[in-house]
Amino acid sequence: MSTNHHNAPESEPALRVKALELLLTEKGLVDPQALDLLVDTYENKVGPKNGAQVVARAWVDPAYKARLLSNGTAAIAELGFSGMQGEDLVVVENTPEVHNLIVCTLCSCYPWPMLGLPPVWYKSAPYRSRAVSDPRGVLREFGLELAPNVEIRVWDSSAEIRYLVLPERPKGTEHMSEAQLAELITRDSMIGVTKVTLDSKAGSQA
Amino acid sequence: MLRPEDVEQAVKTGGSTRRPEEGITPCFKPGDTVRARNRNPVGHTRLARYARGKQGVIHHDHGVFVFPDTSAHGLGDKPQHVYSVRFEARQLWGDTACGADAVYIDLWDDYLEPA
Amino acid sequence: MHDLGGTQGFGPVEMEVDEPVFHADWERRAYRLTISSMMAGHLNGRFRHAIERMDPTGYLESSYYEHWLHALETLLIEKGVITEKELSNRAAELAKGAS
Repeated sequence: MSTNHHNAPESEPALRVKALELLLTEKGLVDPQALDLLVDTYENKVGPKNGAQVVARAWVDPAYKARLLSNGTAAIAELGFSGMQGEDLVVVENTPEVHNLIVCTLCSCYPWPMLGLPPVWYKSAPYRSRAVSDPRGVLREFGLELAPNVEIRVWDSSAEIRYLVLPERPKGTEHMSEAQLAELITRDSMIGVTKVTLDSKAGSQA
Repeated sequence: MLRPEDVEQAVKTGGSTRRPEEGITPCFKPGDTVRARNRNPVGHTRLARYARGKQGVIHHDHGVFVFPDTSAHGLGDKPQHVYSVRFEARQLWGDTACGADAVYIDLWDDYLEPA
Repeated sequence: MHDLGGTQGFGPVEMEVDEPVFHADWERRAYRLTISSMMAGHLNGRFRHAIERMDPTGYLESSYYEHWLHALETLLIEKGVITEKELSNRAAELAKGAS
């Protein structure tokens, strides 16, 4: 049953979560098949490629972009995206004058329908503590240096509204199709820790 | 119990805590200057310590949502307006912060007072 | 301890390139068990506060999905769905079975 080391003792969390699952199944409170389907959705099906699709559409279609900025939830639903941790979505636009950064200082709130589940660093004490008080220092750690006159807006997801950054479209992409653009749009650019460049690759989490 | 046939719909629907706005008057509107209340509750709250007592400006009214400070303790939904409030970085962190920067926090009506 | 905004001293952000969604099978189990319990209405909006009630040192020293497991166990025990004894007994049986 263990998928980790064959003869090494299992960790306490591993034992307890298995015990919990067995107990709840025996008590008729969970269905293991439902558990499998649920995790498959968030491990394999939902991910940053969803957000990339939305951003690429906004880049090529100004009317869609306007709808997206005005009502994020409704606009992403047009492309078939909705659901848990994205029921109330607000999209914030990066411009040459304004750069947006998303955080949840209190826990780990993140726009699941757009980006899937958050990376460990997003949920970590260093990011949660410093994104609000030292955004420029945090961005520097991600390789992004912004001029002092650029306004950084940090959005702390303290309620049930979930945020997504609409990154700036890089120069030199005018000839690209929507699908090609989507391949450039990375998870990190939609959190706001990086920008999209011609060298970006959506497949790698950077 | 969540059944396999329910999973897809449950995922697509989610569980919004938004509530109808009728009859629930907002205390503030965009552009108002507000102060986050200085409170140090024992129970659940979503008013981050770094904002307490600080002055900001209402950026946007998100509508009405369940109030977690009561609902997390079984004390009722107490639905009320939630606002995006803009705090200048220097207000929050002092003079060493970059003057251009700001933090936007989502705060419930009960967390705010006029400034 | 969860209210971390503006706190100093945690050091640089550490990123893992191409990290997997779950770093161990037990994390996957903790995730799906929590979300399905939430969807089935067993957690009653108390999940975040259950994490916030963790011992502060324990909170900082344990991993994200350990927080989830702690909160899930706490709420199910407080609700009377399971007891701590049942849970630790079953975990102990599993430990014996695996070695």
